[in-house]
Amino acid sequence: MEDSIVRIQNVTKRIGNRTIIDKLTLEVPRGEVFGFLGPNGSGKTTTIRMMVGLMSITSGDILIDGHSISNDFEKAIGHVGAIVENPEMYKYLTGYENLIHFARMIPGVSAHRVKEVVALVGMEGRIHDKVKTYSLGMRQRLGVAQAILHKPKLLILDEPTNGLDPAGIRELRDYLRGLSRQEGVAVFVSSHLLSEMELMCDRVAIIQSGKLIDIRNVQQSRAASEAAGRILIEVDNPGAAIEALAAAGQQAESTEHQGLLVIVGDKEKAAAANAALVQAGIKVYGIRAEVKSLEDQFLEMTGGESVG
Amino acid sequence: MADFFNLIRNENMKTFRRPRLYVMLGLIVGLIVIISGIWAFNDNSFSMWEVSMVETTTLFWIVTIFAVVVASSSVAEEFSTGTIKLLLIRPWSRSKILLSKYISSLLFAFFMTVIFLLALLLVNWLLFDAFSGGNSQQAAMLFTELGGHSFFEYIMRYFGLTFLNTVMTVTISFMLSTIFRSNILAIGLALFIEIVVNNALQLLALIPNKWVDYLLFVHLNLTKYAGSNVSTEDGMTLGFSLSVLAVYYVLFIALTWYIFNKRDVAS
Repeated sequence: MEDSIVRIQNVTKRIGNRTIIDKLTLEVPRGEVFGFLGPNGSGKTTTIRMMVGLMSITSGDILIDGHSISNDFEKAIGHVGAIVENPEMYKYLTGYENLIHFARMIPGVSAHRVKEVVALVGMEGRIHDKVKTYSLGMRQRLGVAQAILHKPKLLILDEPTNGLDPAGIRELRDYLRGLSRQEGVAVFVSSHLLSEMELMCDRVAIIQSGKLIDIRNVQQSRAASEAAGRILIEVDNPGAAIEALAAAGQQAESTEHQGLLVIVGDKEKAAAANAALVQAGIKVYGIRAEVKSLEDQFLEMTGGESVG
Repeated sequence: MADFFNLIRNENMKTFRRPRLYVMLGLIVGLIVIISGIWAFNDNSFSMWEVSMVETTTLFWIVTIFAVVVASSSVAEEFSTGTIKLLLIRPWSRSKILLSKYISSLLFAFFMTVIFLLALLLVNWLLFDAFSGGNSQQAAMLFTELGGHSFFEYIMRYFGLTFLNTVMTVTISFMLSTIFRSNILAIGLALFIEIVVNNALQLLALIPNKWVDYLLFVHLNLTKYAGSNVSTEDGMTLGFSLSVLAVYYVLFIALTWYIFNKRDVAS
């Protein structure tokens, strides 16, 4: 068995003479939640469309579970469940009829499995209503339901949290993490909500203008940024505080925020600084470690380009 | 591989679970009942066959239009609502998905034709022949080109030939909706073919050049062969017309499938 569920190999997509994706190479191991991040127009959706065969690949290839999506489409796509952008369903059919519709297209999905999935996404109460009466959150759940009907090895989601309220986002996030942990499903998810990606993903790839800029391990980069150890101290009198710290042998700098100082060091240094400040009679309102969010790192990397 | 029949079932479900179906059925049956009713109320000395023929020539285009509406929305609506994305990411080739849609569209056209025929014969039999015996003498005079067929045979031949026209029109609108992903354009052009072109045929026939005989539109109306396989109007044969149509048909189908397979689904 191959280790990677997805292999994107040197993929290029050209439309006319515009290059939308430029020699993209990526691998996603089985069972991983993989984030795909980039500013608008960077080629996230194009990549996803190529992965599910909705768009042709100009050069290179995408393998899903070892099968080429361009040459062996029916085999490759059989392992994939996907929601591409919004989960558009047939509005004049009921939720159940929609699921039956997609279940019929895949071998081995029984009526029993459909019921099971309906229960899994918590839609038993409304499944026999027409989809046009559903709220966006319910449509999203129905979208997840159609994507997992056939127990895919890979779930591809394009901007899944678009238009969901915070509760819905949280629910989806927990659900995806659960799928990945308990059933070993790999999840490939694109989003522009960076903080979301941070909570959801194991690794995150960042692309810009169709090129892969970086792949990061989310947990590691968080730890790394904590280890870099910038500590913020909030005081009533920054000038006096800097002098007091200098006297105690610590170098502090003021920041652009009024009353906020920054020192470099670990926990011990923070405690020592605190003691020095208190002894000097300076009021300390708060001490915290500065954590660079993925968003900060992302903005650094893409040169502050908008990511809305 | 799941059964291909399931794909056709899906398409049929999408056609038959919509309220517009009842509007279509209601209109077809309603129009026949109303027109025959008024006719019988004024003068019921006509034969059911005569009334049926008049109603077929004046009303059948509605069946074709309904078939066109269903066929063209079958592809175009999947694109306009975005459901095409969920449809194409299943373990089925695009060709097979398109084929299921095409077959389902033709089945619907056939279904509507049968409903029309049944309603027509039943309503007119009840109103004209069942109780008054009808006047077949008078009808015979109207069917100058009966060609030795019985009334029933003639009507069945007429419907068969009209249905071929419907198949061609459905195929054309299916192609247009695949190319342009627009319902309105496909339905509009099909309407244009049904109404304007069929009526402008007499003008085309005036052109003496030979190439006119190979135009699609000259052969779309096959009902001139209802009485006999050689047209009394222009001397063309049914075989020739069917051959010309077959060439166009293969061309249209090839283009439709080629475009659907090539298309990047971007929106």
